Amino acid sequence: MTRMLLNYVKPFFFFIPLAVLQLVVVPLIAIDSITPNLVFLLVVYYTIREGQIFGTILGFITGFLFDLFSSGLLGSSMFAFTISAFIAGYFYSENKMDINLNTYFFLVIVFLSAIVSSFIYSAINASGSGIGFLFLLVEGALLPSFYTTLFGVPIVVFSSKKEIL
Amino acid sequence: MLKFLRRFIKNFKEYILLVILSVLSLSILASNDKPQAKRLKAFAFGSFSVLNEFATSLTSVFRKDDSFASLKEENARLMLEVNRMRKAAFENNKLRTMIAFRDTCEYPLIPANVVSKLITKTQGNYIINRGANDQVQRGMPVISQVGLIGIVTDVAGNYSAVKTLNNGNLSIAVTIQKMNVDGILNFDGSNLVIKNVPATFDVQVGDRIITSEFSTLFPPSVPIGTIRKKESNVYGLLLNLYVEPFADIAGADNLFILKVIPSKEINQLDMNLMK
Repeated sequence: MTRMLLNYVKPFFFFIPLAVLQLVVVPLIAIDSITPNLVFLLVVYYTIREGQIFGTILGFITGFLFDLFSSGLLGSSMFAFTISAFIAGYFYSENKMDINLNTYFFLVIVFLSAIVSSFIYSAINASGSGIGFLFLLVEGALLPSFYTTLFGVPIVVFSSKKEIL
Repeated sequence: MLKFLRRFIKNFKEYILLVILSVLSLSILASNDKPQAKRLKAFAFGSFSVLNEFATSLTSVFRKDDSFASLKEENARLMLEVNRMRKAAFENNKLRTMIAFRDTCEYPLIPANVVSKLITKTQGNYIINRGANDQVQRGMPVISQVGLIGIVTDVAGNYSAVKTLNNGNLSIAVTIQKMNVDGILNFDGSNLVIKNVPATFDVQVGDRIITSEFSTLFPPSVPIGTIRKKESNVYGLLLNLYVEPFADIAGADNLFILKVIPSKEINQLDMNLMK
């Protein structure tokens, strides 16, 4: 029971350092304002581990906290993370968890859900600014998703090595 | 009925949860301008920025000494002074008789450091380590030693949130200094653009852009950048001007808050007009 509870609370412990990294270190590695989203990686990872419902709630809460801590538009990350965690949740399967987390298929899941997340986030923040759909799709969604996916590689490598050990 | 409802919830619980959480998110999104939301946000980023500031101090490999910071502050003051003088010179040539009309008040500067940054293609927000305790208020302009960076949007005790020029939702009234032509500056995701300037004006690449006297957000004559490229649209009748900002907005770390809020500025201008 305690272990189960710990499993549910664990992602929130990881959230704090990841949010600090996202706001302090990630801007240093931005390429033309395109940045990876480390908090989103956490959401996808735990969605695939714990299931769709857990992931959706985790996306909702971490999105809300991230909006608060980053002084961004309140509700934008919240909505984006909720929807994309729900989508990532379709890849949850207790039988295939090893394949989904420890192989490069994890990166496919991250990429697909990150596109949705980044697009929703960009679209909400760009509303009323006259920024075009194509720009939002390519520079607002595809490129940041690719960058986020790159940061998923260490997770796969680490997870698969842990598995071998 | 109860059985059906129970079965319905059991079968569609993921979708029901998604709908509830989405509706909640959207309603929070819609209440961004409410004072309660602003207070909550100010409290949250004010508390969390303590961690960010600590992390920033760890990542600052090149520590700046006090003399460097004071030189930067002096530089920012001189930049504003030079700009005011440049504007005065333009006006002197055009309107000699009205030279004493200009508002020549100086703006006090509050030095600040960037604690954290939220950078995406559609929004650029900073959190800086000066807040209400340092007399920072919402609406105060933020500059670097070379030009305008953005505006203070939320204020906590020791920290403030700054909306930078690289923000799709920030529109600024600007003036092309050489010809005194006004326009609206926007961020289009990649560039700062002044749209729909009549092509009849002889705008040249390299012309300086400053904040306009008509701006309700910023005091006049704060330098923004220079025209990098001009592009004609609507059969050559109008121009889109691409602006290269003086300040490195994405890489800014040492900033200054102009201790002036627009309403006071407008009040002073009004008083000048009554002289």
